[in-house]
Amino acid sequence: MSTVKIEAYATALFEIAQADGTLALVEDELFRVARAFESNEQLRNTLSDSTIPADRRQQVAEQLLGAKASNTTTQLVSLVVGSGQVRDLPAIVDSLVKRASSEKQQEVAEVRSAVALSDDQKTRLAAALTKVTGKPVNLKVVIDPSVLGGLVAVVGDEVIDDTVRTRLDQLKTRI
Amino acid sequence: MIAQIIGLLASEDPNVTHHWLFPETAEIIYGGLSSVIVIGGLIKLAGPMAKKAMNGRTAKIQKQLDDAANALTTSSTEAVGIRAALGDIAGERARMLAEADTQAAALLAEGRTRVAAEIAELEAKAATDLNAARGRSSDELRAEIAMLASIATPIVVQATLNDQTKNELIESFISSVGAGR
Repeated sequence: MSTVKIEAYATALFEIAQADGTLALVEDELFRVARAFESNEQLRNTLSDSTIPADRRQQVAEQLLGAKASNTTTQLVSLVVGSGQVRDLPAIVDSLVKRASSEKQQEVAEVRSAVALSDDQKTRLAAALTKVTGKPVNLKVVIDPSVLGGLVAVVGDEVIDDTVRTRLDQLKTRI
Repeated sequence: MIAQIIGLLASEDPNVTHHWLFPETAEIIYGGLSSVIVIGGLIKLAGPMAKKAMNGRTAKIQKQLDDAANALTTSSTEAVGIRAALGDIAGERARMLAEADTQAAALLAEGRTRVAAEIAELEAKAATDLNAARGRSSDELRAEIAMLASIATPIVVQATLNDQTKNELIESFISSVGAGR
């Protein structure tokens, strides 16, 4: 899909969520759905399989998100699945998150962790990243067991990596 | 003369010999004349041939004598040469033996030097091969250890990373970033 089309979808989703008054929540939920979609090949293949009727794929998406996400988020994902653009869902969501952050004068900070962060940890981490980058950050935490431990934060072009996985890789290279 | 002879001859009786041993005078005369003629003819005709033959034979014998003398001279010369050569053979043999001894000694010395050099070269090569094999084994062992370590480390780390440790790592990250890294 072209960047223009991705931007168009992102704008549409952004405006729907903003109109619904649930932008912060939807943005956060969509971000997590996008990361799950990226990391789960089976889910990706199922939702983008053109041999399965679109309404069936939408049903699958709605069933998966029904209990875990807000109604708006579920409907927006269903909309993207129904339009046959689900393979671009991560790019659309990233664009939406970036736009939402820009609206709030924030920088998106994507943080990967092996375990979930507590609210307190999120608050302190956001404050720490804000201090480092000099800009308020829109913290997005992705649970990624492959990092093993520690955190990696990506803010704009800056990467702060202190994960066990990276240390092991460095150790492996040194060995 | 002739008439006298004829007369004489006519006066003789052909049936009577005048002597029991000697022939008749006429016969003596005829025989004598015939003998003179034959001998004269022989001397005249065969003499040069005989002389020539005798001369040829003399020359041949002389030649044979000369050849014999030459052969004798040649033989004497050769005998002198042989005797001289015989005299030299002993010296030559001694020289050749001495030369052979010298060459044998040189060959022996050269052989010893070459063998020593080859042994030294083989020892050096063996030492190099040994060091290379030792280094290779060491490198292979190191690579094996590294490979095993790289496989084992994540497993061990993952097994030892409990929630508390993970939280400590997160706290450490937040503190570190908050402190301005």
